[in-house]
Amino acid sequence: MTAYIIRRLLATIPVMIVVALFVFLLLHLTPGDPAAVIAGDDASPAEIDGIRSKLGLDRPIWEQFVIYVLSLLRGDLGTSIFSNLPVTTLVMQRLEPSVVLALSTLVVAVLFAIPMGVLAAWKARSAIDRIVMGFSVLGFALPVFLVGYLLIYIFAIELRWLPVQGYRPLSQGVWETARSIILPAFALGMVYMALIARITRASMLEVLSEDYIRTAHAKGVAKKSVLLKHALKNAAVPIVTVIGIGLALLISGVVITETVFNIPGLGRLTVDAILKRDYPIIQGLIILFAGAKVLINLMIDISYSFFDPRIRY
Amino acid sequence: MTLLATADTEPAPAPASGDVILSVRDLRTQFFTRDGTVRAVDGLSYDLERGETLCIVGESGCGKSVSALSVMRLIPEDAGRIVGGSVTFEGTELTDMPEHEMRRIRGNRISMIFQEPMTSLNPVFTVGEQIAESLRIHQGLGGHAAAERAVEMLSLVKIADPRRRAGEYPHQLSGGMRQRVMIAIALACNPKVLIADEPTTALDVTIQAQILNLMLELKERLGTAIVLITHDLGVVAETAQRVIVMYAGRKVEEASVEELFRHPLHPYTRGLMGSIPRRSATGRRSGVRGRLQEIPGIVPSLREEIPGCAFAPRCSFAGERCSREKPPLEPHRPAHLAACWEVARVAATPR
Repeated sequence: MTAYIIRRLLATIPVMIVVALFVFLLLHLTPGDPAAVIAGDDASPAEIDGIRSKLGLDRPIWEQFVIYVLSLLRGDLGTSIFSNLPVTTLVMQRLEPSVVLALSTLVVAVLFAIPMGVLAAWKARSAIDRIVMGFSVLGFALPVFLVGYLLIYIFAIELRWLPVQGYRPLSQGVWETARSIILPAFALGMVYMALIARITRASMLEVLSEDYIRTAHAKGVAKKSVLLKHALKNAAVPIVTVIGIGLALLISGVVITETVFNIPGLGRLTVDAILKRDYPIIQGLIILFAGAKVLINLMIDISYSFFDPRIRY
Repeated sequence: MTLLATADTEPAPAPASGDVILSVRDLRTQFFTRDGTVRAVDGLSYDLERGETLCIVGESGCGKSVSALSVMRLIPEDAGRIVGGSVTFEGTELTDMPEHEMRRIRGNRISMIFQEPMTSLNPVFTVGEQIAESLRIHQGLGGHAAAERAVEMLSLVKIADPRRRAGEYPHQLSGGMRQRVMIAIALACNPKVLIADEPTTALDVTIQAQILNLMLELKERLGTAIVLITHDLGVVAETAQRVIVMYAGRKVEEASVEELFRHPLHPYTRGLMGSIPRRSATGRRSGVRGRLQEIPGIVPSLREEIPGCAFAPRCSFAGERCSREKPPLEPHRPAHLAACWEVARVAATPR
């Protein structure tokens, strides 16, 4: 097992090198001279030359790549063109809200979706099943921003239970953070819940028709235990897979959610950087998101063997 | 169920002399499909005595497995249900028992093992855990005691190195070993009745004998009564004391095993016996019976009500009356019931 984890960690290195290469080329593949692109439309030739030598763009391209990778290895993601602050500093400032939002969404979605899916599978073709599946279709169909504004309207403006927008950092107390993050988490989690509920139902339905479920009943195991112990553990691998895939997909949702709820997180940083063409920030964020995704995949793969003993590495 | 209620359906099974532990009366189980109602079990009655082995024989689709699942009340709710009759275990009616009480009987007083050892064990739990679970549920054993008892059960079903095997998962065991584990699960709580639904069908021939012998040995040791469901008359001859032959959801013949093999009365039973390879006294196949006799035709659809004898379309003895009137199940010889209008002609015809 440990050997497998080490092997998998080593295998992420080539992946990350390819990502780094892509991110590096991003600047060079953009039409036109990178220095001119960075300098903007109204820059003079002298300014463009200044930028070019400052960023080392006048050196051979392979040399630039090596320098780029070496600085990445030192944890240096570059410097923002506009604010002149290191990208790592900017990221660290914005990291907490995004991580809290992503994890809250994960918890909310899993907590609601798995019981919904199990219930729908157990009571297949019943009214409960149809309600859950209807909710699931709705979750897929409604865009995040619409759900977000709806939730704000109902719970913040009409009922006044929760703040309309903004984020309270953990340093101001967990309760305040939770109050500020619950609506965004639900808005962002809607699609995610729909996805997990659907897969849970499908996977459970398949497992519930297996012979060993009949054996469990024949042993006199209680219905609840048949569902949550005998069936759910067998149904877990596909469920964990979509939880992982979903978590990676959340990244795009985070951008919109953070905008709707005015949360100063990585999503907002990304949007602002793209609008201002602050390439070093964009590049740094891509590397970061790619790394997060690789890590999530690794964790999912490792979790498989926990759920299913037939999977051994 | 009173005698009165059964009187107009069929007589009580022949040897009801001993101590009856499980009694099935006029059991009817139906499945509701898009194409209509399937009468999978259509008025089955039998008594099981303490410690005896009763075989239920018949072709695929004759309702023998469904009758077993009905006794356990394991018919999937959305597919079908018991529509009539009664099942009593130690004098208690099971068919209308609340589910939570029925759960205390399943796997504890009445156990069941299935045809498919490869898929009947849960792949994500160790076999020790799967045995221990029954003990925790029914005998209230703690985690450690149940685990210890599970190891004992594994050695009882003659699995070598039981302590190591207890920690293994089903995919690490062979088919024969998995069926041994199923037997261990079924017998863990020392049940009074074991229903075995084709327990050896999916196994290699050499393993089949081992599993059957194990079941019979444990039956003697623990005093468990066995309902053995099979399509294999060879298995019947080796294991049963009494035999029920089922056709199209009904019992067509019942007798002790010696009586049945010596004097089969129903043409269907004769057909089944003709379909197994036999050897003559000299050890070679005799010339006359050189070919296996197959029963012509197929099992009838159970969707329509069959007015006469369900076997009539396939029966060489069938007369005009057979397709019109249902033959009653009657004793034709001592302790030997058969449902056939032409018993006299069948009995007079040499096999």
